Amino acid sequence: MAQKPHSSGSVAPGDTTQRVGITSIEARGVDVEELREKLIDAIGAEFTTYYYYSNLRMHLAGNEDYKEITEDARLEDRAHFELVLPRVYELGGALPNDIRDFADRAACPDAEVPTPMSDDGGFDTSGMEVEDVLEVLLEAERCAIRTWSEVCDMTRDADPRTYDMASRILQEEIEHEAWFVELLSMERDGEINPAGHFVRGEPGEAPYSTNRRFNDSA
Amino acid sequence: MANYTVEVEVPPDCDVEQAGQTVTIEVDEDDYVLDAARKAGVWLPADCQQGWCTTCAAALLDGEVDQSDSRRYYDVDAEAGLILPCTGKPRSDLRIRACQHERMLDHRAAHDLPPGSSKR
Repeated sequence: MAQKPHSSGSVAPGDTTQRVGITSIEARGVDVEELREKLIDAIGAEFTTYYYYSNLRMHLAGNEDYKEITEDARLEDRAHFELVLPRVYELGGALPNDIRDFADRAACPDAEVPTPMSDDGGFDTSGMEVEDVLEVLLEAERCAIRTWSEVCDMTRDADPRTYDMASRILQEEIEHEAWFVELLSMERDGEINPAGHFVRGEPGEAPYSTNRRFNDSA
Repeated sequence: MANYTVEVEVPPDCDVEQAGQTVTIEVDEDDYVLDAARKAGVWLPADCQQGWCTTCAAALLDGEVDQSDSRRYYDVDAEAGLILPCTGKPRSDLRIRACQHERMLDHRAAHDLPPGSSKR
């Protein structure tokens, strides 16, 4: 019996210049270039948020519970960056060589400490309110929800791998929003507005999105 | 509260159900144009909805828009007739052309402004 050739579709056997992982989603209507650019923007926002949350967390002195929750969100945003980064390369993209370009194209605004700079170049925290920090955190999460919802829309029924990543991240971003709605409601308005969640099992657990851990705490 | 009529030109190459049509919507003075359009069933492109990423960029053909809520909007954008409907409130009746993200990126790049400067 004659040996059957490998099933090859439109990609010749052994051809390493193309990826069926790309052509198969293109055939289902995905604009791969548009998607990978969107993903770079989206993980740019996760990366910058990780940075900015580091600073926000440092300025929640005296509110240890807020610091811990911000730490969960911070580490989980880094997990989101890690989860999707390989997908950018699978789709033929790459990180910008210059981190400034990466930050400039981030899909979401810089989550800066909401206080002016002092004359000596440090933060002027004399008038800073905790509720202002919580509002920055909340709006950053809301931006992330919108971004990953858009990625879900772009990939639904056409690119299950990216869709799965985006939907996992979206699950956590929605939880982060709920955390900060709860905290801001109480801090600013004295209202109980439950998130419905309790603490993560470990800092930055990222129960839906964890991909590759750097160390035991991330 | 004032209410304005906004005509939205949707270019034929825009990935929106109403591509090739001009759609008329009503927008309150305190509402953003993008949100009003989406609520009216015109699912214009958008991402951050904080006036930052420029995905929603549109051309302002006629009228006046308040962009004071936008996180990253420059005077040169207004001079070029480009707006961000996600955080743009009408201050008069408007006519806009949607789906101008690529034009906005080119424009920002030409002025060495983000995000165009890092994408072109």
